[in-house]
Amino acid sequence: MSKITIPLGPQHPALKEPENFMLVLEGEQISGATVNLGYNHRGMEKAAENRTYIQNLYLIERVCGICSHSHTTTYITNVEELAKAETPRRALAIRTLFAELERVHSHLLWLGVAGYEMGFETLFMYTWRDREQVLDCLELLSGNRVHYSINTLGGVRRDVSAEQKAGVIKRIDYLIERTNYYIKLATEEPTVYARTSKVGMLPPDVAIERGAVGPTARASGIARDVRKDEPYLIYNELDFKLITHNTNDVFGRLVVRALELVESYKMIKEVLNNLPEGPIAVKVPMRIAPGECVNHYEAPRGEDIHYLKSNGTDKPERLKVRAPTLANLQSVAYMMEGGWLADVPLVIAAIDPCMSCTDRAVVWDPKKGKKQVYGWEELRKLSIEQYKRRGVDFSRL
Amino acid sequence: MSEFAKEEKVKSEIEAKFGGAVSNALVQRKNRVWLDLAPEKLPELMAWLKAAGYNHLATVTGFDEGENLGAYYHATDTRIIITVKVKTPRSNPVLPSVLKSFPGAVSYELELQDMLGIKVDGLPAGLRRYPLDEDFPKDEYPLRKDWKVEEYIAKNPLFKPEAK
Repeated sequence: MSKITIPLGPQHPALKEPENFMLVLEGEQISGATVNLGYNHRGMEKAAENRTYIQNLYLIERVCGICSHSHTTTYITNVEELAKAETPRRALAIRTLFAELERVHSHLLWLGVAGYEMGFETLFMYTWRDREQVLDCLELLSGNRVHYSINTLGGVRRDVSAEQKAGVIKRIDYLIERTNYYIKLATEEPTVYARTSKVGMLPPDVAIERGAVGPTARASGIARDVRKDEPYLIYNELDFKLITHNTNDVFGRLVVRALELVESYKMIKEVLNNLPEGPIAVKVPMRIAPGECVNHYEAPRGEDIHYLKSNGTDKPERLKVRAPTLANLQSVAYMMEGGWLADVPLVIAAIDPCMSCTDRAVVWDPKKGKKQVYGWEELRKLSIEQYKRRGVDFSRL
Repeated sequence: MSEFAKEEKVKSEIEAKFGGAVSNALVQRKNRVWLDLAPEKLPELMAWLKAAGYNHLATVTGFDEGENLGAYYHATDTRIIITVKVKTPRSNPVLPSVLKSFPGAVSYELELQDMLGIKVDGLPAGLRRYPLDEDFPKDEYPLRKDWKVEEYIAKNPLFKPEAK
């Protein structure tokens, strides 16, 4: 049979992230695949060199829509190490709380996308409805659903009150009940098993060779988790299991993420019930003495690693960011080879490449003490008016 | 120091094996080892690290040091991160590829080429550039310190829609 090469992406290959796969097909079967990236390069590492440490915090938060807390925590761990700041224990606990809430929100989102890609849209509807509960928790604690901005140099920006704690625990209890149902579904439902089993195989030796991280590596039986390997924040005091699975396929990745949710709920409750007393932040100097350090962090998608070099001024000399998806994409090409064209979206989605979401805003007028919720239409109208004042007319678009 | 026994052990093993090529080896703190290396020994050391259990190349950081361009290879066994620093002269920056030991590093090496202009010897031919755009100038390297965003914007008409 003659070979044919088709491009998949960069527009929406499986998720809304731009990436391109060149697939060599023999009939419906894939005999070769290459990954092309770079459609979303925003020059953040260069931009970071021209901003102060505190400004960079808000830049780094926008590296990713979902892992916003992961990237700022990695960055801030580096800055605090160079500044030799003693971050209060209560701040570390609150960062851990956010890290686990973020993992819950990311894994629930992924479960929905996986359901959608395997043609099980009820699962997508269920998990995304339930995901609202964890987004509500994050909003309750930080004021924001996606970019929580809880981290600041030397600590966190907001404390956790008793009412907030009760609100979070109430929602987590609901999620525990729902997640038990999803685990039953993932492990016992024959259609889920039939669609995901033996799809996107990644043997452990290939996973190591290609540098796979996070749930993708753990589903190939590799016990690799920064939270266990080099505990940061307060993970060394928390009781949780490192979840692995040995089927090496999409089914394994589904089970690993579903079971990790349970561990995260356990940790969230443990942190909330044992919050250390004390201040939530210390002062960190604007200028950081020359030095360099490297730190990693277990983001929902896997290991996130940052390198930071300071030069004695208030701006970094070099900041390097490597997000987990980049490490995992080399494995995707392998997973697709020998598989079927129809499995491609499921295989791509199974490493959980990231995407972002937000389309609403609440404006609070402190003088009138009033809150107003703006929807999409109102926000659009406001922005058109603002550009009109600057002499640009978008109203006819 | 007995406190960092494991770190000291791997450091002295590398120093014994690669003698003259290694300098400034340092145990910075728990789980962090840094060392400078002569670039021609890079593939050999990376193969040794992989065999010794440091089988995950977390990333490669490119860095403009002025006269030299540097590349820092962060290899880890998921606990100890060993950062191997190599330098290459700015006038003719070339480094050997480590793809033989770490095939997953292809995007990190492409990044060294694109962002700093370090030619990586041994990368397979026919790869698309990464991470920069196809029509980004081929002789400009944004992560070099003498590359200024303002200059690039000033000479690129795309960024000035009002001037059309």
